[in-house]
Amino acid sequence: MQEWISDNSALLLVLPGLFFFSLFMFFPLLFTIYLSFTDAEPATVFQDGPGGLTGFFGLRGVENFVGLENYVAVLSDPAFWNSLGITWLFVAVSVTLKVAFGLFLAMLVTSDRVRGKRYLRSIIIIPWALPPIFTITIWKGVFSSARFGLANQAVMALGYGTQSWFNDRWLAFGTYLLTEMWLAYPFMVIITVSALQAVPDDLLDAAKVDGAGFVHRFLNVTVPSIKRPVMFAAILTAAASFTQFLIPYVFNRGGPGRANELIILYGYREAFTFDAYGAGAAIMMTAVVFIGIFMLAAVWKGQLAEGVN
Amino acid sequence: MTMFESIRRKLAGDVRTAIDKPAEFRADVEYTIQGVRRGTISPRDVLIPAVSTLATLAFVFVLLLPIYWVLMIALQGEGATLYSTDSAGLIPEQFSLDAFVWVVGDLYIPGAIFRIAVPFTDIVYYFEWPRIVFLDASNYVDSTSDFPRYFWNSLFIGVATVVIAMSLIVPAAYAFSRREFAGRMKLLYGYILFTQIGGGLGIAALIALYTIFSSTGLTNNKLVLAVYYAAMAVPFNTWLLKTYMDSIPVSYEEAAIMDGASPFRVAWEIVLPLAKPGLATIFIFIFLTGWMEFIVAQLVLRPENYTLPVGLFSLVDTYTVPWGRFSAFALVYASPIVFVYMFAQRYIESGLSFGGVSG
Repeated sequence: MQEWISDNSALLLVLPGLFFFSLFMFFPLLFTIYLSFTDAEPATVFQDGPGGLTGFFGLRGVENFVGLENYVAVLSDPAFWNSLGITWLFVAVSVTLKVAFGLFLAMLVTSDRVRGKRYLRSIIIIPWALPPIFTITIWKGVFSSARFGLANQAVMALGYGTQSWFNDRWLAFGTYLLTEMWLAYPFMVIITVSALQAVPDDLLDAAKVDGAGFVHRFLNVTVPSIKRPVMFAAILTAAASFTQFLIPYVFNRGGPGRANELIILYGYREAFTFDAYGAGAAIMMTAVVFIGIFMLAAVWKGQLAEGVN
Repeated sequence: MTMFESIRRKLAGDVRTAIDKPAEFRADVEYTIQGVRRGTISPRDVLIPAVSTLATLAFVFVLLLPIYWVLMIALQGEGATLYSTDSAGLIPEQFSLDAFVWVVGDLYIPGAIFRIAVPFTDIVYYFEWPRIVFLDASNYVDSTSDFPRYFWNSLFIGVATVVIAMSLIVPAAYAFSRREFAGRMKLLYGYILFTQIGGGLGIAALIALYTIFSSTGLTNNKLVLAVYYAAMAVPFNTWLLKTYMDSIPVSYEEAAIMDGASPFRVAWEIVLPLAKPGLATIFIFIFLTGWMEFIVAQLVLRPENYTLPVGLFSLVDTYTVPWGRFSAFALVYASPIVFVYMFAQRYIESGLSFGGVSG
């Protein structure tokens, strides 16, 4: 025992961080699981319940244990499935857009034909440096329904009439996608640029000598050598899309109506707008299960943690 | 001080390069023109890069149009709106810094009175210095924003977050990088996993977090929020700093140990100074977490403790958005971060090696 302690004394340096992280991450998650089995709402959960160990040291209110009722209610609610469906659609389309656009931009700012690439690179990643709430509120202004909103000026220049962007379901969804793409492209560009710079020039030259055109060179030389980093970035950005909350919240609270509530916003609104903490917790836990399965599969398949020592 | 000195020197270098750049560019252009005239450079080799560069520049301009647009609105002053006039052109017709004055408010050093009593006597000296005003906002605008208050709240939270997080992360990163202990690999894998899904899980646990904070009476407490941010910063930044420390050769430490230095002195006097760039990177990352976080802050803070992001959002959360004021507020809030990123970009790019990803 004595020996074990002296061998592992460095663990003491790690434990404080681990303790705080667990306190604010795992403990609330466990508490979410508990809440999802109760009929918690502000009126009950903040009242002083039983103390002691069974009362979680005074954290418990007078909410009642209702078993799987919340999960049954949530899973049989069409609004939940609508929210989950729109979330996965958002993930699929936005990840495709982000990867394609990031790749395009990265090719552009590493191209031999463009001068001043280093400066261009530091300019185009500016959106990365801006606080999300800043950029998202700007985009809300861009899609203002007023005639002088930037987006409306653009469509008018193209010969269409003004749109009220947030009042149509698919138009609103489109604005989410565009904004998400704009928020995430700097990350994609940085990863893709560093991957592109690692593509061996000899291979590209050899392919050129062999008479391969741009498309062939791209598909047969560039893509295979940047595949892994780009996939890594795509997985991370997919997780970010799945938990996107701010864009729908700031734009139109997931509207029109509740048509575009992405899953996290759906749980948040259930809990804080409609005061159903129990149901909200059940929705959040369902979302956690989905994202957990996705991430575990991605980490396992994509071997994300490889090379750790 | 050496770190500030080196940062100062690098900044000065950057400025000098920026000043020299136009002359250099002109020389390049002249050289190219002469080359084309003499026939040593074919016009085609000039034309293609020139056209593609211009096209790229135009594309980048369109890409960053929203930011430019906000800047133009802010420069039109307090009452700028996109609803009343056709003012959304590329160059505003009128310039006014009203909106910025509204954001910043009065700039002054508060007056103070010092009292110094000479010991063992009744003599007391009073020193007084008056309020020194640099800018009196009331000369320009009727009212001022709450920006200064939000700013101090954000600064408090940011600094507290950094202090707490660094004291948790630095020892842990050192242990991960230099020592062996039970469960080391498992913990490291766990941390890497959490850098990637942590944010989402954090939001999923929001309801429980709010309930816990409320039940224990900890909402609206800036220090508790800072502890929360610090805890959330642990996995990613520990991993990042550990990766950086791995790149420091072990031989320096071995030499110090041979000379009889204690493990603590080795860590404090050898590893930490060498890890400075890594420390600077995580310092920026951690500070910015607290500076930019919105969702939790919005949920637990009440108006007197609002941070900048929450204050910014409270400006637009009405039906009549004061666009001029909003834009100025947003720009003043965001511009320091952009400058930090611009300066730190090369370090961040080299610091973020994304170990094990390439290839």
